[in-house]
Amino acid sequence: MKRILGGVIAVLIFIVLALAFVHIPFGNIDLAEYHYYNPVDNEHTQDSVPQHYLDEGKKETGSTNIVTAVVVDYRGFDTLGEVTVLFLASTGVGSIMYIFEKEKRRKVRRANAVVETASKLLFGFIILFGAYIFVHGHLTPGGGFPGGAVIASSFLLLYLAYPRFHAEHKNLNIAESLAGLTFVGVGILGLFLAGYFLYNFLPFGLPTYLFSAGVIPVIYVAVGVKVGSELTGIVDAMMGVRE
Amino acid sequence: MDLFTLVSLILIIAMLIAAVVAAEIKDLLSAAIAMGIVSLIVSILFYILQAPDVAITEASIGAGLSLAIMIFAIKHTERWEK
Amino acid sequence: MNWIFLILEIFGYIFIGIGSFFLLLASIGLLRMPDVYNRMQTATKATTLGALSVLFGIGLLDLNWMPKSLVIALFILLTAPVGASALARASYKAGIALWKGSVVDKYKEEKEEE
Repeated sequence: MKRILGGVIAVLIFIVLALAFVHIPFGNIDLAEYHYYNPVDNEHTQDSVPQHYLDEGKKETGSTNIVTAVVVDYRGFDTLGEVTVLFLASTGVGSIMYIFEKEKRRKVRRANAVVETASKLLFGFIILFGAYIFVHGHLTPGGGFPGGAVIASSFLLLYLAYPRFHAEHKNLNIAESLAGLTFVGVGILGLFLAGYFLYNFLPFGLPTYLFSAGVIPVIYVAVGVKVGSELTGIVDAMMGVRE
Repeated sequence: MDLFTLVSLILIIAMLIAAVVAAEIKDLLSAAIAMGIVSLIVSILFYILQAPDVAITEASIGAGLSLAIMIFAIKHTERWEK
Repeated sequence: MNWIFLILEIFGYIFIGIGSFFLLLASIGLLRMPDVYNRMQTATKATTLGALSVLFGIGLLDLNWMPKSLVIALFILLTAPVGASALARASYKAGIALWKGSVVDKYKEEKEEE
């Protein structure tokens, strides 16, 4: 009864708020002049922003995968913020679980020989697949975030197969910091060379080839390594056993 | 009704059932697995809506890593909701 | 040269048909089998064979896809039995009893011999 009442109240509040927000304008524009303003060429077009990405994205960034062009090139600064949020989450989990781990020691049970052998065989291939996903981020679907998650899941396999395994925190920290430094360094290099943060200053090359799209592959490799080491740190904080 | 609508309708209904199960069931392990099913179906839906990038991310993070982390949290604490 | 591709395509569809038949059998077995271990073996053996057959058939339809589908088949062949063995072992260790019609329990015999 309580839950039904709570649900009804929540729906009513939602309807009232929605009715209120329908009539509030956010910003002040003339709908007849609803258009896309290009600050670089200082011109107005009737195109919408997504249409502009679809039409001009390949020419402006050199990336075959338009999603990657948006994530790393047009909205590169947001990606830097996302990676920072992930870093903060990883740090938070690590600091909380560290206190938790100190208080109790878990009993460990060995996995069977089949799982141990298979994880030994598969570990390298899964890492290779993750690296493939983020190295080819500008050509095929995928990129830094899925590639890093695949790498972290390969470490998860090792944690499941060998209960006493734990990744060296020092090495994870070094990889994570170097990747973050590369991301920011490329951005500041763009600031010095062309006047914009994260400007795509390298030559574009031929589209659909591996060495193309300027700085996009460099940034995506950095994002992949950073996300991989952060998620591995979270997995390690959750599952690692300290002796 | 064409095939695309039919398939996405079936997937959405299955996803809603899994979501309700995840919210209502008292066994937290089953709830975690139902959450994994929701993530998996969402990733299939992303794929058939032609967003493979998001589908890969959702499948690896939602159905893989976060499910494992949730199960380990349940292993550290208690399995049954009171 | 065109008829070779026609024959390959026919064989590809035959393989896909065999694979989907085995996948159907696997899902029927998943519903009908009495206990965890029996369900595990349908869900692994029949599904692995079905998936391999479908992948090989897809490779025959377009020979450009053959290397990729063979790599995926190899990956399934490596991972599916390992997962099933880990699951079966975990459920045995958790104390789930065998179906009353089961006749042999090698794991228990080996434990008793030690």
